Amino acid sequence: MLPAVSMKGVTKAFGSTLAVDDVSFEISPGRVHALMGENGAGKSTLMKMLAGVHRPDSGEIRIAGQVVTFADPRQALAAGISTVFQELSLLPNLTIAENMFLGKEIVGQFGIPVRAAMTARTSDALAELGMTIDPNTLVSELSIAERQFVEIAHGIKADAQVFILDEPTAALNAADVEVLNAQIRKLKAAGKAIIYISHRMDEIFAMCDDVTVMKDGRHVSTQPLNTLTPDALIALMVGRDLEDLFPCRATNLGHVVLSCRDLVLPAGTEPLSFDLHAGEILGIAGLEGQGQSEIVRSFIGQVPGTHGALSVNNTPVKLPLARQVGVRSMQRQRVGFVPEDRKEEGLLLGAPISENIGISLQSARPGFKPLIRLRETVIRIMKEMRVKAESPNMPVGALSGGNQQKVLLGRYLASDMDILIIEEPTRGVDIGAKAEIYRLLRDLAEQGKAIIVLSRETVELIGLCDNILVVHDRKIVAKMLGCEATEHAILNAALKT
Amino acid sequence: MSTSKTHNLPGTKPNRWLGKNSRQGNWWAALLLIVTTVLILLATTDDFATPQNANNLLAQAMPLIIVAIGQMIVIVLAGMDLSVGSVMSLTTAILALDGSPLVLIPLVFLAAVLIGIVNGVAIVRLNVHPIIATLSMQFIVLGIAQILRPVAGGSVPDLVVSLVTGSVFGVPAPVFWAIFVVALGWKILHGSRFGLYLFAIGGGVASGQDDTAHNFGLKDGRSIIIAYVFSALFAALAGTFIAGRIASGDPGVGSQFALDSITAVAIGGTQLSGGVGGLHGSILGAVLMALLANGMNLAGLSAFLQGAIKGVILLLVVAMQSRKKMGL
Repeated sequence: MLPAVSMKGVTKAFGSTLAVDDVSFEISPGRVHALMGENGAGKSTLMKMLAGVHRPDSGEIRIAGQVVTFADPRQALAAGISTVFQELSLLPNLTIAENMFLGKEIVGQFGIPVRAAMTARTSDALAELGMTIDPNTLVSELSIAERQFVEIAHGIKADAQVFILDEPTAALNAADVEVLNAQIRKLKAAGKAIIYISHRMDEIFAMCDDVTVMKDGRHVSTQPLNTLTPDALIALMVGRDLEDLFPCRATNLGHVVLSCRDLVLPAGTEPLSFDLHAGEILGIAGLEGQGQSEIVRSFIGQVPGTHGALSVNNTPVKLPLARQVGVRSMQRQRVGFVPEDRKEEGLLLGAPISENIGISLQSARPGFKPLIRLRETVIRIMKEMRVKAESPNMPVGALSGGNQQKVLLGRYLASDMDILIIEEPTRGVDIGAKAEIYRLLRDLAEQGKAIIVLSRETVELIGLCDNILVVHDRKIVAKMLGCEATEHAILNAALKT
Repeated sequence: MSTSKTHNLPGTKPNRWLGKNSRQGNWWAALLLIVTTVLILLATTDDFATPQNANNLLAQAMPLIIVAIGQMIVIVLAGMDLSVGSVMSLTTAILALDGSPLVLIPLVFLAAVLIGIVNGVAIVRLNVHPIIATLSMQFIVLGIAQILRPVAGGSVPDLVVSLVTGSVFGVPAPVFWAIFVVALGWKILHGSRFGLYLFAIGGGVASGQDDTAHNFGLKDGRSIIIAYVFSALFAALAGTFIAGRIASGDPGVGSQFALDSITAVAIGGTQLSGGVGGLHGSILGAVLMALLANGMNLAGLSAFLQGAIKGVILLLVVAMQSRKKMGL
């Protein structure tokens, strides 16, 4: 039998990073195929190429034996590929029926859309999923779960042969997961091919027939699931050595500089507490979206509705902080927050290096005081951070990713923060610059500063951190010493079922 | 099934009463103000409820209603057209040229199509912000209008005058204009696939997912250009109406209409962030503004005070349109 989908030698690069590197992937009708891999392994990119969101740089995609290229997701849907993405792709100001038929409306006389017909057919498609919701409801009124069902119904209505479900259960409660699973079995029985991306082991083993494992954009293995145990599957997902990139660890930790007590996140279940010591690099690990960034962002007032007690250098800080003053009041406590998205949240790309480094020093001064001269400071910081640039006047946007990150870190070095909270210190940074950044962070820790690091790269946390907290579902599920942690152990804890 | 209707997104608790999640926006505030104004005028003045004043009112409101419908077409997709006033002025200037109406009238609409295309192409292909693109066009078109007719004057063909001031079987012409533009506006906005695409594109922009409409396979660029052509065409229609009433060309006649039409659309509940609004709201907004002007004239308020009151009403009405409540 022809495979429903066959991708051969598919490659996709974003800038200089290869997201998907020469991957081949096949799925047969009537099978549920799990796609597994750590964060950033390239699963989502691979599926977005199949769904017409991205176009592959090379390689070919065949649907039922025919080579296809898609200009947009609508063409992919017309070719029988239906996708339920993590980030949803419905228009909130249109009704369910309008979303379902957008671009393919049923029109009657004088080109006037026939609402009744579209409503009826939408009703039918929803009914197949056991939903009785009114098709004339605006999508903005639906819950996330309902929106996902609407997208699946969209695929059913379009008579799709392949369904891609990208973490469909992430936002669902147990009852909804059951409904979804029943629906998947129904689709499978009807001979549809289903690609299932999930981090929940129990679901994978309950629902799927085959599994493909990806790592670092490459294909690792494809096999029937019944030949694997959960442990063996995790073993396939890890396995890489970066040990020598990392400097040695702290020998002894100082006193507690930041202590977080009974922090309750808005969607959280249990209060969580932890301490950060002078000279320590503390890692927060976990799968995508399990609450890691919510924990640290609650310290700067970006997560409304959090409660808890924070104490910085023995000064109590009452959470939640107001969004507008969060970052500033933490900076006054000498806590610097380095955001993940340096281009959007961190740097002023059009402004020169000197301004990017100096801005936190300038902004710590009263609003109408004239700017102070910082040229010497900036040059000193650039030297310490080993920023490779011709002059401090170069716009930051012209630098490489690694140098941009060093400038961003340099800003907090310049204002002499005691505590740094860093999201993804090496995102989009090449391997040489990574090693330099690790070295710099360790130097800072040795000077007695304390650092919290969030990273999707487990290896990075293991190599860099003295202690690692593993977060799952907004709970700290494990705490381990960096020197003892293994990728396997972290993934095992993070996948806690 | 258990998921249906049992839970809602945090923070978007639907209010089933007037503030219900709605794509029409908050049009009832304009309606409420219209009813209030009419009641006050009925109670306080004798001149308001005369057939002559009603006639007057319709003729006064008509240009703004027409421009507002065109303006709404671009505001729904998160755009804006500041050139409509100049297009109206240009229209009167062209119609007051020497020539046959059979040449001048097509020329007016040809010019409007061209202006709309340039606006749309500048926004879509050259990536110019709608305010800048149409602001530039406003200056360009006004300049041309002033070259054609530096000061008010000239005379407009009798055909155009009778189209506006005449009557059929005792029914004054503006009534037919009203029926025509409302039907046309409804067809474009609510009775066609094109209208739905406008809302889809605007909804994508308003919710920060600019690509969503494109991902549905919609030709968003083309729709946006066509929307600006419609906006210019409605402005030309409004200009023709005014030319018929004043029977001459006037390069200053449209100067208020760009901001007035945006005001009318906003009062009618259309959100400037895109994706939410209704034709009836824009008409109500335009009617309310004409009614207020009429009423304040009858009450003998100064023009300066009238402007201030208009601003207060705009601010208050739009402040009631919390985006969280209104569908997006």
